[in-house]
Amino acid sequence: MLIELVKTIIFFIGMGLVGLGAVFDLIGALGLLRFPNFFVRLHAATIGAIGGAVYPLIGVALMAPSLESFGQYRWYLMGGAIVTALFIVLAAPTGSHALARATHRAKVVPVEPKVVDHLEEDKG
Amino acid sequence: MGTREKILLALIIISLALLAVILSFGALGAVPLKTIRPLGSFYLYFMANNNIMIQEIYPSITKPSDFWAASTEGVTAILWDYRGLDTLFETSVFFFAIIGSVSVFRYYSASLEEKNKKNTNNSSINTKTSDQGLSLIVKLITRINFVVIIAVSASIAFHGQLTPGGGFQGGATLAVAPLLAIAALSRYFVEDVGLKKNTMLTIRTLGLLIIGLLALAPLIMGLVGGNPYIMENQPKSWAMFIGFPSFGLGVLLGSLAFYNMAELLAVGAGFTVVFLLLTLPEEFFKKILSREVGEQ
Repeated sequence: MLIELVKTIIFFIGMGLVGLGAVFDLIGALGLLRFPNFFVRLHAATIGAIGGAVYPLIGVALMAPSLESFGQYRWYLMGGAIVTALFIVLAAPTGSHALARATHRAKVVPVEPKVVDHLEEDKG
Repeated sequence: MGTREKILLALIIISLALLAVILSFGALGAVPLKTIRPLGSFYLYFMANNNIMIQEIYPSITKPSDFWAASTEGVTAILWDYRGLDTLFETSVFFFAIIGSVSVFRYYSASLEEKNKKNTNNSSINTKTSDQGLSLIVKLITRINFVVIIAVSASIAFHGQLTPGGGFQGGATLAVAPLLAIAALSRYFVEDVGLKKNTMLTIRTLGLLIIGLLALAPLIMGLVGGNPYIMENQPKSWAMFIGFPSFGLGVLLGSLAFYNMAELLAVGAGFTVVFLLLTLPEEFFKKILSREVGEQ
């Protein structure tokens, strides 16, 4: 009885995370349209990657154990979701970091409007 | 809203409504059958290993294992009998493509390290691995992902006989790891790990050899024992060599797992060779080519 309750609660937390992912995707899309320059738009794109992909994947991993009709395949689903989420957590920020750094060093995009630019200050 | 937009909107609504009417009357072609087609049911019966049903339809089959695809996956079940030769020729195409690109870069060693050893007075090239590549963050994450990608590609290939995936897919995934390392760390890192041109060439030749031997083994064994079949991945109990699925049922599914492993080696190493050759500096390559042509 208690196990069933815990299972249901975990399932609904998972559903909530999937829904949260949709919200983050929307926020990321809005940011891509509204933000003023390349570097801030890159931040918006990463919101879409982390918030819009990692949270739903963790949600799927939480939902999977309750999907009894999937049989043993629900554990494959859960493992695959967790591994993919971890991979995106590592790869997406690194990718946007490399992009931003390369763009800044090559001076392809002007930092405009600028509030603070630590990289430029470090270079002197 | 102007007149133009109103007309456009009306046109869109009218065309959508027309499309809906046409579709609902099935005007775009025959409506799909609600029942399974005879060919489909044939494959399904054999694929699902429903031996009692097979014997009901074909009473002449005495042993249920006579026609047994022994695969849980539809595509694999249909391709099962052709799998060996299919893999052999598929890999041969890839093999010759790589051989072609290797022959374009035809010199013994494609190692940058050895080149730098030869002219040590050239101080402009820094051979220290830690000083090469992108920023520290990217390098660290690439080192972690290098291992993760190899693990994922192994899981794609080694589980390919049970779930979607397989050797080529696994090999293509495997080759992403050295490519990432070349881009983020440096070519020196990849050479330090031991992924050199000739090592990779040896590995992929080994993979192709295993595939060829596996694919032709049933034919050779059949020729020796009598009543040979070219393709004996599907069990033929009347033949001398019954077929590969007669061993490792359920987990290995006959020869499939071995094909996948060999294909992983062949494709992964093949792509790595090409990536290693393509990342050579142009001057290095041109110097050796001109020496060969004789224009010193």
